[in-house]
Amino acid sequence: MADPIVVGITVLYFVAIIVIGWYSRVRMKSATDYYVAGRQIGSVVNGLALESTYLSPASMLGLPAYVFIIGYQFWWAMAAIIAGMPIATLLTAAAMRKYGPTSFADYYADRYNDQNLRWLVGIIVIFGAILYITLSIVGMGIFLLAILRFPYLYGVILGAVIVMIYVVFGGMVATSWNAAFQAVLMTIAAVIAAIGIINYFGGLGPYHMAILENNPKFFNTPSDIEPSHIYAATWLAVIGWFFVWHYGFATMPYTVVRFFTVMDMKTARRSIFWCTLFAGIFYLGLEIIGAGAKVIIEKAHPLVLQGTVPANAVKVLAYYAKTYGVGTVTDYSMVAAVEALQNPWVLGILCAGGLAIAMSTAAGWVMVVNVIVTRDWADMMLRSKFAKENPILMARIISVIFLAIGLVIAINPPALVLDLSGWAFVVIIASIGPSLVLGLWWKGATRTATWVTAVIMFVLHLYAWLYAKFTLGKPHFFFLNTALGLSKTAIVTPHQVWAIPLGFLLFIVISLVTKKPEPEVVEKYCVQLTEKL
Amino acid sequence: MPWPPKIFWVGLILYYGFVAICWIGEATAGWNHIPLAVELYAALLGTWIIPLIMSVIYFYFPEKAEEASG
Repeated sequence: MADPIVVGITVLYFVAIIVIGWYSRVRMKSATDYYVAGRQIGSVVNGLALESTYLSPASMLGLPAYVFIIGYQFWWAMAAIIAGMPIATLLTAAAMRKYGPTSFADYYADRYNDQNLRWLVGIIVIFGAILYITLSIVGMGIFLLAILRFPYLYGVILGAVIVMIYVVFGGMVATSWNAAFQAVLMTIAAVIAAIGIINYFGGLGPYHMAILENNPKFFNTPSDIEPSHIYAATWLAVIGWFFVWHYGFATMPYTVVRFFTVMDMKTARRSIFWCTLFAGIFYLGLEIIGAGAKVIIEKAHPLVLQGTVPANAVKVLAYYAKTYGVGTVTDYSMVAAVEALQNPWVLGILCAGGLAIAMSTAAGWVMVVNVIVTRDWADMMLRSKFAKENPILMARIISVIFLAIGLVIAINPPALVLDLSGWAFVVIIASIGPSLVLGLWWKGATRTATWVTAVIMFVLHLYAWLYAKFTLGKPHFFFLNTALGLSKTAIVTPHQVWAIPLGFLLFIVISLVTKKPEPEVVEKYCVQLTEKL
Repeated sequence: MPWPPKIFWVGLILYYGFVAICWIGEATAGWNHIPLAVELYAALLGTWIIPLIMSVIYFYFPEKAEEASG
């Protein structure tokens, strides 16, 4: 039975975003407004929008779920995500704003003087976009289940429809202002829930001891006799988790395009400070929730107290899988932990924050796909008259198509939301990250290296991830374990993260042996962009 | 050859140096078993304060350099 307070808070959230979206729509006058918000977004709004776009349900649901699974060691993966934000400031953000393109693919086409790169970059980005739109719809389904207590299937359908309406009528102006509001909301939600959990135990000290009592291995590292989990049983695995998402902020298209929307380079740099400030607080909250989830579910979840389910967190989650049809039910652990507080106000704010993060991420990725398909492919490559004359209409059609694809996959997702995110991150960073970062900082980066690296790393990583997932059992086991004569679980390399350094190495080697780019192009898109950052 | 400004490397050394020290402390002295230590160094410092310091130096010093060069 749905709690009226939880439902009421959710309704208030929707009223707020409709009002913000309506004001945004009144201000939207051109395609540039739709794509890059007229380049008029300030540092605070852009910083908050960066936070809510970059941090997805993979953060809000997936990271606490992985802390729940692996233990404290996963906090370092979360710390690395936040530390990746400032690194982006001088690595890509400031240069990208100085360059000021409209589409993520513009840089590749200009720097490597090859318009056909729009096809290649677009295909890889769209792969990542489908995974992210999917995990956002999964997130919508889970939070709508927590709010309305109806089957997960209804939640993903309703969630996809809500995001469609939201994106189709807003564009980047709507997503910038709404995303800023959503960032504040989700940060407050995580902090309130974390404080609630600490208060439940009577303070931080008792909270720590309760976790230890419930799971004595929780704070162990690979150097302890018994590591916390097989995924963190070696330092190689811990370092692997650290780097899966670390450089994403500097290279992932849905954050890089947000640097195009700000007024100037100074604003781009400052916006990352605001993003780090709020995202850091948000993650502190998630770390507390994730670590306390198992013990609080087992001590205080209503299903346990009512005697419906034994005092076992896995069995509580299994109940949700069976009753409501949630496919990847570990993703529900964070919500279940907050349900255990039995405070509808906290649960309502958390669910509104959860819907906020899911909607802003889906919207951000849909905008990236819109620009690639409508502007880069249809208008610039295929010279489509329809796309040229009706860019916003076509972008809206594309939005609906990709959201529908995400919905179909979200009904029975292939992996946990964080695994979908890790898959997208590694494939994009390994295949087109080297040509973005080294294209800015190395005169010797070549067009051939861009093509070869993108194609090889995209295909290789897809194969490695799928092989590890479906043959070895988990995408975190090194795909060559059995080929090397080892056990399936011998080497843990989360999401085949080895692909990122390999992609950079491959790019450098091929650049060294292939034809150098034209000097004037290098001067314009490498030397000048990186001067005086 | 373009090269990221010196301040970029200062930020990287600050963060990776901090993480390396924490991991060495955990591996050799068992810092992770001291009550509330991980909440301090991995959560508060590692996840929030040190990244925030990096983000400040990454906008403060470039702006100072721009002001100095007019």
